[in-house]
Amino acid sequence: MPEIRVTPLGAGQDVGRSCILVSIAGKNVMLDCGMHMGFSDDRRFPDFSYITRSGRLTDFLDCVIISHFHLDHCGALPYFSEMVGYDGPIYMTQPTQAICPILLEDYRKIAVDKKGEANFFTSQMIKDCMKKVVAVHLHQTVQVDDELEIKAYYAGHVLGAAMFQIKVGSESVVYTGDYNMTPDRHLGAAWIDKCRPNLLITESTYATTIRDSKRCRERDFLKKVHETVERGGKVLIPVFALGRAQELCILLETFWERMDLKAPIYFSTGLTEKANHYYKLFIPWTNQKIRKTFVQRNMFEFKHVKAFDRAFADSPGPMVVFATPGMLHAGQSLQIFRKWAGNEKNMVIMPGYCVQGTVGHKILSGQRKLEMEGRQVLEVKMQVEYMSFSAHADAKGIMQLVGQAEPENVLLVHGEAKKMEFLKQKIEQEFRVSCYMPANGETVTLPTSPSIPVGISLGLLKRELAQGLLPDSKKPRLLHGTLIMKDSNFRLVSSEQALKELGLAEHQLRFTCRVHLHDTRKEQETAVRVYSHLKSVLKDHCVQHLPDGSVTVESILIQAAAHSEDPGTKVLLVSWTYQDEELGSYLTSLLKKGLPQAS
Amino acid sequence: MDPECSRLLPALCAVLADPGQPVADDTCLEKLLDWFTAVTEAGSSLLLLQENPCLVELLFHVLKSQDLSSRILSFSLRLAGIFAAQENCFQYLQGELLPMLFGEVGPLGGAAWTAPAVRSGWIQGLRTLAQHPSALRFLAACGAVDTIFSLQGDPSLFVASAAGQLLVHILDLAMRGPAEGHRSPQACDWPACAQKIVGHIEDSLCSTAVPQVTQALSVLTTAFGHCHGLWTQGLWVRLSPLVARLLEKDPVPASHSLVDLLLSVARSAPSSYRGLWETLAQTLSHLSPTQAGPLALGILKLQDCPQALRTQAFGILLQPLACVLEAAAQAPGPPGLLEGAAGNSMTVDTLLSSKSACVGLLCCALAHLGLLQPLPQRPSPWPQAPLLGAAVTILRLCSGSAAPTSDVGSRLCAILVGCGRVQRAALDFLGALSQGTGPQELVTQVFSVLLEYLVSPESSSMSWMPVGHFQRLLPRKNEVRCSLSPCIPSPSYTPGRGRGQAGQLTPGPAAPLFPLQVLKKAFQATLRWLLSSPKTPGCCDLDPHTQLFLRELLPVLQKRLCSPCWEVRDSGLEFLTQMTRHWGGQAGFRQALLASEVPELTKQLLRDPESYVRASAVTATGQLSSWGLCATPAGHECPGAQQESLLVELLHILSTDSEGFPRRAVMQVFTEWLRDGHADVAEDAEQFVAGALQAASRDLDWEVRAQGLELALVFLEQLLGQRGSHCPYAVALPETAPPGVLAQALQVLCRVQLFEFAFRALFDCDRPVAQKSCDLLLFLRAKAAPCGSPQEAGDSPNVASVEATLQRWQAGEQGQPLGYLEPGAVVALLRSVDLEGLRDTLAESSDHVEKSPQSLLQDMLAAVGVLGENEADCY
Repeated sequence: MPEIRVTPLGAGQDVGRSCILVSIAGKNVMLDCGMHMGFSDDRRFPDFSYITRSGRLTDFLDCVIISHFHLDHCGALPYFSEMVGYDGPIYMTQPTQAICPILLEDYRKIAVDKKGEANFFTSQMIKDCMKKVVAVHLHQTVQVDDELEIKAYYAGHVLGAAMFQIKVGSESVVYTGDYNMTPDRHLGAAWIDKCRPNLLITESTYATTIRDSKRCRERDFLKKVHETVERGGKVLIPVFALGRAQELCILLETFWERMDLKAPIYFSTGLTEKANHYYKLFIPWTNQKIRKTFVQRNMFEFKHVKAFDRAFADSPGPMVVFATPGMLHAGQSLQIFRKWAGNEKNMVIMPGYCVQGTVGHKILSGQRKLEMEGRQVLEVKMQVEYMSFSAHADAKGIMQLVGQAEPENVLLVHGEAKKMEFLKQKIEQEFRVSCYMPANGETVTLPTSPSIPVGISLGLLKRELAQGLLPDSKKPRLLHGTLIMKDSNFRLVSSEQALKELGLAEHQLRFTCRVHLHDTRKEQETAVRVYSHLKSVLKDHCVQHLPDGSVTVESILIQAAAHSEDPGTKVLLVSWTYQDEELGSYLTSLLKKGLPQAS
Repeated sequence: MDPECSRLLPALCAVLADPGQPVADDTCLEKLLDWFTAVTEAGSSLLLLQENPCLVELLFHVLKSQDLSSRILSFSLRLAGIFAAQENCFQYLQGELLPMLFGEVGPLGGAAWTAPAVRSGWIQGLRTLAQHPSALRFLAACGAVDTIFSLQGDPSLFVASAAGQLLVHILDLAMRGPAEGHRSPQACDWPACAQKIVGHIEDSLCSTAVPQVTQALSVLTTAFGHCHGLWTQGLWVRLSPLVARLLEKDPVPASHSLVDLLLSVARSAPSSYRGLWETLAQTLSHLSPTQAGPLALGILKLQDCPQALRTQAFGILLQPLACVLEAAAQAPGPPGLLEGAAGNSMTVDTLLSSKSACVGLLCCALAHLGLLQPLPQRPSPWPQAPLLGAAVTILRLCSGSAAPTSDVGSRLCAILVGCGRVQRAALDFLGALSQGTGPQELVTQVFSVLLEYLVSPESSSMSWMPVGHFQRLLPRKNEVRCSLSPCIPSPSYTPGRGRGQAGQLTPGPAAPLFPLQVLKKAFQATLRWLLSSPKTPGCCDLDPHTQLFLRELLPVLQKRLCSPCWEVRDSGLEFLTQMTRHWGGQAGFRQALLASEVPELTKQLLRDPESYVRASAVTATGQLSSWGLCATPAGHECPGAQQESLLVELLHILSTDSEGFPRRAVMQVFTEWLRDGHADVAEDAEQFVAGALQAASRDLDWEVRAQGLELALVFLEQLLGQRGSHCPYAVALPETAPPGVLAQALQVLCRVQLFEFAFRALFDCDRPVAQKSCDLLLFLRAKAAPCGSPQEAGDSPNVASVEATLQRWQAGEQGQPLGYLEPGAVVALLRSVDLEGLRDTLAESSDHVEKSPQSLLQDMLAAVGVLGENEADCY
């Protein structure tokens, strides 16, 4: 029985290190290869030993697909390809391919900072991994091999994020990665066509939430930054190199312009140029407004946002600084935080999730006295704000996408079990489809009935139409024809055409039957009696008595012969073709009743 | 346990027991278990529980609570296992708690059991707990073994796999008891628990259900892999007939697991297991060629194995290649790979049955032979020549340049043409074969096919190049195809159009599969062959064939450096760097390179739009320059003026490039130049170092700054002598430098502002930079020991102001420069700064505070009630 099997190695009832194995029509695909930043040992990566057990990795896996550049979706990729030994193709969109190394380098820095070089993949490994990537365009069908094809759809969420349709023959799976169904300041909304996949694997981060408008959060953000700057305070926004930071930069830039504010905005480690470069390069991936205004003004060429120098942190007066890394793990953002933490006029805004084991996590949970190296205690007097700007579809958005794609089944990943449970019920009720939510390591198996497309010959259709019945889409009709497979295609044609195309000679199938008659006369006379009898009974048929003594009725042939043992009995040999089956059966039964007595 | 942790524990247990308080971060519970494991490994669990009664209370509470999350329940099961691993603590918990947690009255019988996390916690808890005989009795009494049997077929991979491992652990524990030494290998004398497990394995092996057979084989594989008692021989005696019986079935069930088991047994102590070699031989002959490959490789890797079995195994690996060779042969040629066996019908059938079967079999055979090639235990004689022939033939079938006349050959050709997977595998294998020698004729063919691949995978043309010796060796068909292809841009074409356009090479439905990967593999294989080329006897130059090949290769490389794909340009540059590093001094290479446009193109790539390519171009140019091979318009070796301009250009990249990779590459090149005494650097090393350090000190990339310190260290060593150790983080005790040399050196170091750079780096926000700087300053201080007394310079106003500046730097205010330092002041400073203390602080990873158990407990407690504030979404 054909089936689709899905096993999450990560993102099954949790968020972090997305890695989902899909087996479809004998092809094995890995969807995302993420890492969990909350661990600093091997647990940060998915447990790939479950794949390596199936033999050589490159032989087992047909391809790896990466949905977007966030580390919980691509962070384990260099480890997987350069250290575990996967040597096959990796697919992602062009912006993801371009931005991935920056984020991976960003995290490599944190890892090396904490544990030393030996603990992690090297820069060379990141580059070698990126060289294995095949970039895909939106809506372009990419043939992975003769049977497996993939197609990317726009997912919003971050620059270059994509949903992927994986198709083998008539079976297909759609994996959403992370997506956003509402456009934001720099990206558009996710979109997919009515592709009716056998299975839709969707993220469910905000499975139970109807998120407030992003505008409200943006207003709140601007208000807080503005208030802090107005009272002479400094604002620190810890960010990862690319993504959310650019969205917030656009927001501040526009606000600064409108309000004519003078306080400087800085962006650390040369990221402004870098971000500018990538957003310019991938302008088609941004939202409509940015694309439209791009000719007059590139939104990413900031007037107010300047490159940060370490010395600026000590400058007096208000300022806004975007610094890496995003969770106050280490490095520059942590250094600035330490400097500014003691002043209640200052503010730190955490624009995203922070894992346990980071200073970001501590201050978000309300801790205000932090122990630093050497038993020093840092008192946090600055204001701490959390504003999630992550762009995920909320419950409404997820339902909208399910409605758009019309899948046969839905499988939830990248979310919490309790929330998934709620959404699962909702999906099952509303769309009448099965919904699954496997935990990590659990396999969901879906039997499929692959439809095999069959072409039909025009001649056969015309012949059917000639019978006078007009086709009606609501009424199935029985159609006789010959199914032929030629050049890996199935076609239904008339038997004549089939014979012609396949170069075959026609065979005649005849049914035969023996009927015993009590008749002492000679065989020829018996034959004449049969002829006369049939002639009188079958008035509408052509009954002939042939010179060789046999009698024919249409294609039916009757011959009389003597019985080998009983001279008083004659044997009638009756044979007829498949086409005259009905008449043949009738004749046999007629003859079995015997001949009328001669008058 | 730390008193502070002990103080926080009751509150934490209360939080964990409260169903209304979900745990903040999914990693916290794991980290908590890590901590408890460490605590119990260091001391008594019983004492821990007695001193912290809240822990036992938590476990009891978990049992009573109806609406606890599966995560907390799983955590509790694992926690109980950790405590009960010590026998006295086990006794303490055994009365009520353990049966309730792990017995049928516990989660096992409840609704919570449907959660895989709970089943996993149950198994892991038992796995940790099962360390002593009392645990064994407990397992038997509570019927756990039967539950474990059923969990082997769990829908969760994690649970099923853990169940199998737990069975092996229990079996081992049962057999390792006090009677271990006297334990009879006869299985009938074994303890009841072991008998039960072995009985279950027997039943499973006899089952008609493949999953059950697989489970049994996996358990046995783990057992023979991890357990080394005498009893394993008894186990083999008892079970090997059942294993052998599997071979009688057609198809052989769970063949993959069967291979794993047999190899696991063979690897442990093969001579102890009666009949093993026969079973292995039988298995080899029963399995299909694809299934038998991994077994054959495993057998050939064994140190001690009968020759007949090795021959049989090697035959399995060679079969597919032998078939290809036979199928592609135009006429009866030299002896093939396997005389008389080449036409093994099963292998031919597999090769021709479908594209996926053919590709799978060939890729496996190539990969297995490639792995075998470098091993000392590889079969001898090693059929180097036929293998080379086979690899070349496969590559030609894939490229379409071979035209076999036989039916099988044509069919293979149709299957393999354009197949990226086989191309990659064959190129890897060809690269591996470079370690051996071969007849010149074959080596020429190897170079020819490599050249074909370097030219062709990207649907490009050779029509702009003169046809050379190696290309003439290509079959005519290929030449025709090439001449029909469109011309590529001339070599003067501006390289690289950036990523924005690179997408045009993305394969559409009809595009070749992964051409970039194939090209990269072709570069790697070519490099391996080139670097292993023999030198002409009695001469230090290249042999004539390599020389000839190089002449044809360089125009191809030139073309690759102009590719619109950054990956190709980058691979080309990496190739050039390696080649130059190896052959930079050889006249033949120099001549061929300088006659080509490669050096000029390489220089142009310093301005490539892709930062990775710029970085590789920096490294390649640096390497070329080291050998005096940088670009000159006239094609002559470069005079000083050209060199100077390169130095300026690299300095410009270091100061202005917006990306880190090229800047890092420049610093690496500079360090190498300084270390190797590059002529132009040596001319004015002081100015060179001063310029490089000045640029690096301002750099925003931590790796550039760290590399700057590496350069500074090389400079120091040149001035003051080597360090004792090469380990970058170990500071040995260097001998002190003579006072005269030292004073002079310090003057130089002050002039190049090395101290300003190093002291600034000492307080860098990135730990690796600070650590490196600390090592460097410690080295310098040890060298400077005899220079003046501390009082001499330490009291001067200059030192006082510098010390004040350093303190501000340490506090994070690095705006103010140090200014010019006198050597005496430097020595005084080196003595006054607590470098050892700083080194110790830096050696502790910067997150040791956040990762401490106390911090973990505080975080978990602090997160109570503020969960919504920091909800996991993405990062």
